[in-house]
Amino acid sequence: MIELNHIFKRYPGGNEALSDVSFAVDKGELVFLTGHSGAGKSTLLKLISLMERPTRGQILVNGHNLGRLSPRRVPYFRREIGVVFQDNKLLNDRTVFDNVALPLVVAGITGDEVRKRVQAALDKVGLLARARGYPLTLSGGEQQRVGIARAITHRPVLLIADEPTGNLDAAMSDEIIDLFKDFNDHGVTVLIATHETRHIERLQKRVIALGRGHMVAST
Amino acid sequence: MKAYFARHIQVFLATLGDLIRHPGASFLTIAMIGVTLALPAGLYVGLLNLKQLSHSWDRGGALSVYLHRGASGQAAVAAMRRLPGVQSVRYISPRQGLREFEQQSGFGRTLTALHENPLPGVVVIRTPSSPQALTALVAALRTEAGVAHVQSNLAWLERLDAALALGHRLVMILGALLGFALILILGNTTRVAVVNRATEIDVIRLVGGTDAFIRRPFLYTGALLGGLGGVCALILLELSLLLLHDPVHNLAHLYASKYSLTGIGGGDALKLVVIGTILGWIGARWAVGRQLRQSVQ
Repeated sequence: MIELNHIFKRYPGGNEALSDVSFAVDKGELVFLTGHSGAGKSTLLKLISLMERPTRGQILVNGHNLGRLSPRRVPYFRREIGVVFQDNKLLNDRTVFDNVALPLVVAGITGDEVRKRVQAALDKVGLLARARGYPLTLSGGEQQRVGIARAITHRPVLLIADEPTGNLDAAMSDEIIDLFKDFNDHGVTVLIATHETRHIERLQKRVIALGRGHMVAST
Repeated sequence: MKAYFARHIQVFLATLGDLIRHPGASFLTIAMIGVTLALPAGLYVGLLNLKQLSHSWDRGGALSVYLHRGASGQAAVAAMRRLPGVQSVRYISPRQGLREFEQQSGFGRTLTALHENPLPGVVVIRTPSSPQALTALVAALRTEAGVAHVQSNLAWLERLDAALALGHRLVMILGALLGFALILILGNTTRVAVVNRATEIDVIRLVGGTDAFIRRPFLYTGALLGGLGGVCALILLELSLLLLHDPVHNLAHLYASKYSLTGIGGGDALKLVVIGTILGWIGARWAVGRQLRQSVQ
């Protein structure tokens, strides 16, 4: 599903965020990406979701060679994956329903199909009752769950999450991680970047560790 | 295909809804576009009216042939009747001329102080309108016996036509300039709108929205504002014509004419709205394209 070959990422000013990173994630796997802040986790996820491009090296995601993907094809590639952001990136002037519907609307899906899929996604994260509300009226954990509903509503084959439990208390963050585990059980490949070792110990899944832009360990 | 149209209608309705919900800012933009469009459109309508006025005059008009003192009016009239292109001939004798002059000039009795009648005999010839025929006729008349001078209204009609053509060209240039101004106005409005919605645009891109999808609402807004600006220009124009109606009517009355101003016609009115819409779309397309390229990820 994901394959990185000798990836380097250098930002203007000479700061090398990633240096010679290589790993592969198989279809149906759940993998934790771990390391201290500044280790390069976010950069790596940005490269995989094509928000940035590597300085050197090759990335394959779901059969696409990202280096050869033209800017015109990027939107269509993004519809194959789902991304959960640490700051959830919800649109505060739209209802929860409209936020979750966005990936469907941009893909040209209309009418009843949108309603059904959004309701299914919100039901999955336990927020069906809040569909008509606005994001700012929800708690931090609820907002993060809306972000997750938005990431799965278009049924992606790959789910990527950047510190999805960053600002949540222990019970809440366990719930979030269990949600990801559930999607994985239904066949979705999941890659979660987190610095909380508690989840890693609890779930007993594969771990890729980064330190100062280098691969430290891969189980 | 059906879904495609459904999406477009959806975006159009959403744009219209946005406009109705936030009327303040949109109103200013629409008024600005209205004034910008009303200026060249108003000049155009003025020109149309002038043209109509000049056409209502007798284009072929009358040729005035002044005879030498003492030349026989009867003989001259008889000779001129035989010339090709002459429709009708009227002879005004010196005495008749003096009487008409007394009545119309207001000099009245002071003219009796003159020892003799200074006016020559005049033959007024009516002729069909072709300018070539008129020129030929003028040349033929000049060779007639007893003819002192031939006065044709051809020259000044030509000058008027030339002046109107110049006016027309000026309106075109002004229209092009103000059309460009309209593109700039809507370009700037759109640019501000895009900047204000930067977060939304980022999120739409992250969930797989194409640039065309992001552009669509801005293009609809631009086209809608441009079209409504055109409607606003029409309203301004009609209001101006309404204000001008009475003074023009009075003036025409003083000249014993039934002339009245014509407004912009249905076809031209539609053209104005369509031009506004197209220019609005172009302005929005230009601005949003630029903005999206700048923020490309």
